[in-house]
Amino acid sequence: MTTIAPSGVPADTAPRRTRRRLHRGERSLRTTVVLLVVGFNAVLLVYPVVSALRGSFHRWNPLNGTYDPIGFENYATLFTDPVFWRTALNTVVFGTVVITLRVAVGLALACAIFARVTRWKTFFRTIFYLPTVTPLVAVAYVWKLAYHPQIGAVDTVLGLDINWLYDSTFALPAIMVMTVWKDFGYAVILFLAGLYAIPEETLEASVVDGCSPAQRFRFITLPLLAPMTVFVVVTSVIAYLQAYVQILVMTGGGPGRSTNLISFLIYEEAFVKYNFGYASAIAFVLFFCTALMTVVSFRLAGGRSLLKAAR
Amino acid sequence: MKRSGALVASIGVTALVLVGCSPGEGSTAVEVTVAPSGLPVQGETLTYDPNRLVNDGEVISLDWWLWDGDEVFQAFADAYTELHPNVEISIVNQPWDDYWTKLPLALRDGSGPALFNIHNSHHDNLIGYLEPYDLPLDALAADYLGVDAHLVDGQVHYLDYGLMTGLVYYNADMWARAGLTEDDHPATWDELREVAQRLTVRDGDRLTQAGFSFNSLFREFSLGLPYQEGQHLFAADMVTPDLDNPTMLSVVERFLDLYEVDQVGSKDFGPVADESFGQGQTAMIYTWGHFYGSLLEDYPDIDFGTFRTPVPDTGEEPYAYDRYNGESTTGINAGASAEEIAVAQDFVRFSLTHADLMRDLCLHYSVLPMYTALADDPAIAAHPVLSALGDVDRYIWPGPLPAAFESSVDVMWEDILYNGVEPAAALATAQQTVEREIAHDGFVSRENHYAAYPAER
Repeated sequence: MTTIAPSGVPADTAPRRTRRRLHRGERSLRTTVVLLVVGFNAVLLVYPVVSALRGSFHRWNPLNGTYDPIGFENYATLFTDPVFWRTALNTVVFGTVVITLRVAVGLALACAIFARVTRWKTFFRTIFYLPTVTPLVAVAYVWKLAYHPQIGAVDTVLGLDINWLYDSTFALPAIMVMTVWKDFGYAVILFLAGLYAIPEETLEASVVDGCSPAQRFRFITLPLLAPMTVFVVVTSVIAYLQAYVQILVMTGGGPGRSTNLISFLIYEEAFVKYNFGYASAIAFVLFFCTALMTVVSFRLAGGRSLLKAAR
Repeated sequence: MKRSGALVASIGVTALVLVGCSPGEGSTAVEVTVAPSGLPVQGETLTYDPNRLVNDGEVISLDWWLWDGDEVFQAFADAYTELHPNVEISIVNQPWDDYWTKLPLALRDGSGPALFNIHNSHHDNLIGYLEPYDLPLDALAADYLGVDAHLVDGQVHYLDYGLMTGLVYYNADMWARAGLTEDDHPATWDELREVAQRLTVRDGDRLTQAGFSFNSLFREFSLGLPYQEGQHLFAADMVTPDLDNPTMLSVVERFLDLYEVDQVGSKDFGPVADESFGQGQTAMIYTWGHFYGSLLEDYPDIDFGTFRTPVPDTGEEPYAYDRYNGESTTGINAGASAEEIAVAQDFVRFSLTHADLMRDLCLHYSVLPMYTALADDPAIAAHPVLSALGDVDRYIWPGPLPAAFESSVDVMWEDILYNGVEPAAALATAQQTVEREIAHDGFVSRENHYAAYPAER
């Protein structure tokens, strides 16, 4: 027997229709949002990437309309170009040192702030994060001035006489120090979040079991922070393989080629020499290297932490 | 019903906004029916007669893109629109860094301005979008120097209104403290070395005032001074770069000696020579005329003087004193409408024949006028930079050099000074780099347009 609602609509079908209508509305909203995101990525990400990939097989200058197919010539030139290899080596050194220091300094300061004895935790968090939110261009200009051999703060304070940004021994390390100073706050905040996520009882249990602070850090804190460490490393790899602003502002890749990084080389080829085809070829090599290093980072750090978690 | 009402209302509001933003809004141009009369014809060989209607007196608007010098270029636009009130010229300033990507792309997609300023270093990216000047070439060449070097397929798309080149700037206070007078302006490089030593100040072993510095200003002299001894930047085929030669090596060694033998400066004292000069640490630098404007604007407290670039030997006229680069006249967009192009052509002719405005422009940018009518102009002769340069026809232009030349020379010098590379090896590397990088550019040097270029080479 069917109950009739006062409006004449069967009582059990009315809410179902409403639900269906709601469901349909929600579904169309979801579809719209997804389509917008897909469209956005297709236009602003996939299309440019595909264009650049095609362009890497051409002698290409979009400003004057040059677009001549040359096969793999850009890639062949690239792999025999000593400037590219010097730049690639600089990038590896820069990335390795800066990422290592960022993780080490970030982790150390996060642990220091996390410790029970530390007071004014919010104050320290804010102070350490301040350089991260300051524009890199502004920071680079200030540090460039600080490194000036005659009027710079660094030589004055340390009592040294070093031409930091023009001496090939010191130029890249000087930029690395600035970059670590600028970026370590990001790692501090992330590691702090990771530390606060460690179950309190786990740490207390280790105290009851007689663990020393060093053992607790080595066998509990570090393994439980592994996912966050992987995240910091992977995002750092992606960021530092693309670093060029500090090079542009502080040294222009010099002296000679001693601070030239891959992304700066891409910028120079594309926007100084208008050699977009060659720049695209370098960009794709960088793209594959970034992807490869990201996978390797995940495999190494992620795999190990999973293994330890299983034990 | 409500929906359709809202739709109509929103369309109405949008239309109002669009009308409010239309180009006609705020335009000062008015239709003109009667041509001006009785106004003097201006110019020398190339002339401009203002006594006629432009665009049949109908209102027309042109955009003019530039990256600098709004006021000095606005004067051209104002003078022209005063003669032709039916024309409006709107100046749009685009920062230098954006200009060279925005402009070609705008010209390519048809949204570019009718008029735009040009720097010849971007010749390759712009030449395809330029409308040739509709001017009698004989008359143009009679009034402007260097026109033949700008011919492309027998047509001129832009030319030089001024010549920019190098000279020596000195700090007048340091000069006086060293007991030097204007009679001590060095005419040769050996004399400059002696003066630089007198201007050098030390506190014990520590340099406190450099007598001469060239740090970070390498490209300026390296690509100019070999000409003094007749060495060109290109081989006789006008295509093969020629950096690795004994003359270039001698120029490198002469400058190295200033630091290593005379010790009048140091690679580590004032890493950027012009900044160091502005900060009052360095007594003399060699750089190009544009530094005059930077000194007035950025370092107004520095009292300075200038003198012409020294030469190798006393009393001997060099093959050329230096390399120059031209400051270019305005370009016309070939993709603009026929009416816009016609007015733009008229405006260019007006500009090229207006001696007063051309003088102001040359003084503003510290460039020697290429307009022969200004050759003996007293204001030009009194300008601190231009008075030091001397004869305009003793400077040579190699053409709009590809960026590879300047960047390779910078790397070469940094390798020599800071990375311990031997000069000969650094020169060889620079030669290889430039050869590789310009291999597909199709660049052809204009050195053979120089008046003293040898008939047989």
